Amino acid sequence: MTLELNDMQGLLIRGFGNLLGAQYVLLRFTDAALGKKYISELLPLITPATDKPTDHAIQMAFTYSGFSFLKLPDEGLISFSREFREGMTEDHRQFILGDSGENAPNNWVWGNAAQEDIHLLLIIYSKDADTLAEKLLFEKARADQYGVVELHTLPTGLLQDHKEHFGFRDDISRPIIEELVENVEKKVGVTFPAGEFIMGYKNLYNEYAPAPYLSATHDQMNILPSSPDFADKKDFGKNGTYLVFRQMEQDVFGFWDYLKRQGKDTEETICLASKMVGRWPDGSPLTLTPDRADPSLSTANAFGFWDEDKAGLKCPIGAHIRRTNPRDHLVTERTQKDSSEMAAKHRMLRKGRPYGTPVLEPLEPKGIMELPRDNERRGLHFLCLVTDIRRQFEFVQNNWVNFHKFGGQDHDADPIIGNHYKSDKVVTDEFCIPEYPVKRKLKNIPNFTLIKGGSYFFFPGIRALKYLASHE
Amino acid sequence: MSTIHRGLTVTVVVEEEKLEQVNVLLHDFNQHAKTYKTAYKEHLPSTYFISWLTLPAQVYAEKVKLPARILFMTSYVGSKKQHISELVNFLGPRLQAVFEISKEFSPSIANLDDLAAFIRRKTVFQAFYSGFKFIPTQDVSREQEIKSTVFDFLETQRENADFPKKSPASVKEDIENFVKNQDEFGWASAGLSDKKADKVRMLLPLGIFLLAMATSLVCLVLSFFMDYAVLSWMGLVFPAFLVILVLLFIWLRINENNPHIPNEPVSDEWIRQIIEREKNPVLNEMTVIAPLKKGLIRRIFLGLSLRLITLVGYFSYIPTVHTARWLQLDGGRRLVFIANFDNISEAYAHDFVDSDNRSRNMAVVFSHAAGFPATKWLVKRGYNHRSEYMKGVRFHQKITQFWYAFNTGLSVENLKNNRKFREGLFQKMEEEEIKEWLLTN
Ligand code: HEM
Repeated sequence: MTLELNDMQGLLIRGFGNLLGAQYVLLRFTDAALGKKYISELLPLITPATDKPTDHAIQMAFTYSGFSFLKLPDEGLISFSREFREGMTEDHRQFILGDSGENAPNNWVWGNAAQEDIHLLLIIYSKDADTLAEKLLFEKARADQYGVVELHTLPTGLLQDHKEHFGFRDDISRPIIEELVENVEKKVGVTFPAGEFIMGYKNLYNEYAPAPYLSATHDQMNILPSSPDFADKKDFGKNGTYLVFRQMEQDVFGFWDYLKRQGKDTEETICLASKMVGRWPDGSPLTLTPDRADPSLSTANAFGFWDEDKAGLKCPIGAHIRRTNPRDHLVTERTQKDSSEMAAKHRMLRKGRPYGTPVLEPLEPKGIMELPRDNERRGLHFLCLVTDIRRQFEFVQNNWVNFHKFGGQDHDADPIIGNHYKSDKVVTDEFCIPEYPVKRKLKNIPNFTLIKGGSYFFFPGIRALKYLASHE
Repeated sequence: MSTIHRGLTVTVVVEEEKLEQVNVLLHDFNQHAKTYKTAYKEHLPSTYFISWLTLPAQVYAEKVKLPARILFMTSYVGSKKQHISELVNFLGPRLQAVFEISKEFSPSIANLDDLAAFIRRKTVFQAFYSGFKFIPTQDVSREQEIKSTVFDFLETQRENADFPKKSPASVKEDIENFVKNQDEFGWASAGLSDKKADKVRMLLPLGIFLLAMATSLVCLVLSFFMDYAVLSWMGLVFPAFLVILVLLFIWLRINENNPHIPNEPVSDEWIRQIIEREKNPVLNEMTVIAPLKKGLIRRIFLGLSLRLITLVGYFSYIPTVHTARWLQLDGGRRLVFIANFDNISEAYAHDFVDSDNRSRNMAVVFSHAAGFPATKWLVKRGYNHRSEYMKGVRFHQKITQFWYAFNTGLSVENLKNNRKFREGLFQKMEEEEIKEWLLTN
């Protein structure tokens, strides 16, 4: 099935990496009718997936509360998934996501539904800082005009060499959408049916990704396509998807200080940090080059764990990349086939960008380790696109990142992003590194990342936006 | 003593209007079990899990009313007699208070022996799966304790410059010397008792079945050359078994053509009530109880499948599951499934549907339950298999009013790793085996 690229917002198929400036703007409507006019005016400016902009791009996503404020018909509202309707800070969602203690929503800067009501996320990309500032001013004026209140603007800044703040190359491993592979003969590695990430297409279960829908009577102007699942319904989800947003503050000095205390020298410290990530700072995977970084492999992604490293002697089973994507080896599975099939059901399209100034440019661990602590706030605006929040993002966050028993471990949450704590029943602040003659255990790991904000959004297709702007 | 982990399921019918009364009691007892967990562990040393719940009346095949029930399900290690005796000695008054609400409870039950006899009488057949083998409850904490103490000790050895160069054998020797010198680990030096008898016991039914089939096959061949009636009769068993299987499959296939009746969507409120109870940090429980789809063949087929599952129980494997059981009630018209598993059901349910193998295996049982996805030839899936499957589980899930778990802190993999570590202690091994053993998590 060919993808309707002209009906999709561009972020679904590209990261706008050439547009170096980006800002996430969180907004609230104050009047439904004005809100719809606002969307209607913005609509022609939204960058569809057919465009490859070189100057700027604008993308738009809504919270459940935003849709309900704009009076999307009730039937449509209840057809969204429960987790989207409940929102990221609902009690049970907090439990699933491990947002407790230091990470609890009452410590967040934005997104705690009990404190503020976010309706809309506007993402503005621009080729450089100057044009971005201009665009932001312009959009602020537009929002004011329609009574749309700017709640927060979250700046971003790409770091040199595609790094994140701890000093590791990021954004290497991405699931490839089958329908986008132009030359099937050149296809390498595993691909995923579009329905895993875009609604209106079949997913890995050979089903249409569950999507919000409406009765035809609610769509008098016949804007929306028909639902593939229900003959008499219109598909509000087609060419859209869910967007998960988490602002994660990174304690760069805390990270390297802790590791310096564990390693006997710089080399060992970097090695331990790489064991936690699963890749060397330059991006080369431990599975392919276990003893030292190899720049020629810095974007290598064609590897598995079943044949190469079942015991985790190269890349520990608890490493960040192995927990968030166990590829072809799950400790609890008995075959490579079962492991691969299971792991594939929980992937996501990551689209986030770092924020805050880096502690050093370029971000070389040796240099970072020597710096004194500063008071800057920096981290990652983690964004991912998935058609099923629970099966993809929440499952990974709950069952693989935070579940301290993942992979037969005793007390280990993800060393980089896990919520580390000790209570009378649970300990999650350890990290096990299999090695000869005996495994090594790092203990008392503090939290290196803290959640500072977050929300679930829906990222509609262009027709759905049109419907939203014009529905009765 | 047998160390096979087995299940016990006791059930009685109860009048619908009395369900609330039972629920109130079970709720109270549940609180009691949480408050006095240590006493439970002490007085119920053979027991791993107890799930105790009421089941409302349900409708089978659109017209037959299935009665409300009380279900009491335990899993235990050791002898059944001993287990029941422990239950009645410690939980006697509670068991009596609940069961006497049922008309099946006879007023003549006057003492604990009578109660034990009543429990034995009300026990029903089930297919039972355990994720770990031959681990009595007494070993759970001490095997964890010894492993973590040993690895903490090894961590202190890391400071020695020559430690990384040590051979696996000498590290093992260090470990064993360390263990020998710790009084509290005296029990470990004795090694593990041989589990051969338990393995044989578990494999015996399968052995007998295979032997019977093989004998029949041999008799069949011989009957072509020798003219003994007994050979002909024996020779018929295997072909008859095959023919019956084929006929049952055809009958099932015809039944599969009945129009599929999907379950009603489940309310958010119901799901919230269920998941609200799954907040234990390591393992949780789920009970799914559903009437079967219409047709005698469903009842027969499921009954047969459950018996075959029991036969191959020793070899089966369901990841992250501590225990699972499947049983039929009310003349086979109802399927009960209960599992104790790692983490939460939202994650666990994925284990059913995320791999082709697993969803096929699950279809063998669940495709007979009302509302679960339609199949062809038992395992070939119909449309919307996964979402319908998940909806089916939630729709038929019941709230377990009373849940007790002996172990709440260790995952299945933890239990198995701890056992693997202990098994290796004081055991002769090759260098490569020791290397692998030292990597035990
Ligand atoms: C500040 C927070 C985070 C940091 C510093 C971080 C860092 C990294 C790094 C350095 C990589 C390796 C580069 C690559 O393979 O593309 C990576 C990969 C990955 N991360 Fe994160 N990450 C963060 C948050 C998250 C979160 C919240 C999730 C999802 C729950 C996540 C999921 C993934 C996934 C799926 C991969 C790819 C694994 C693979 O396919 O091999 N990350 N991350």
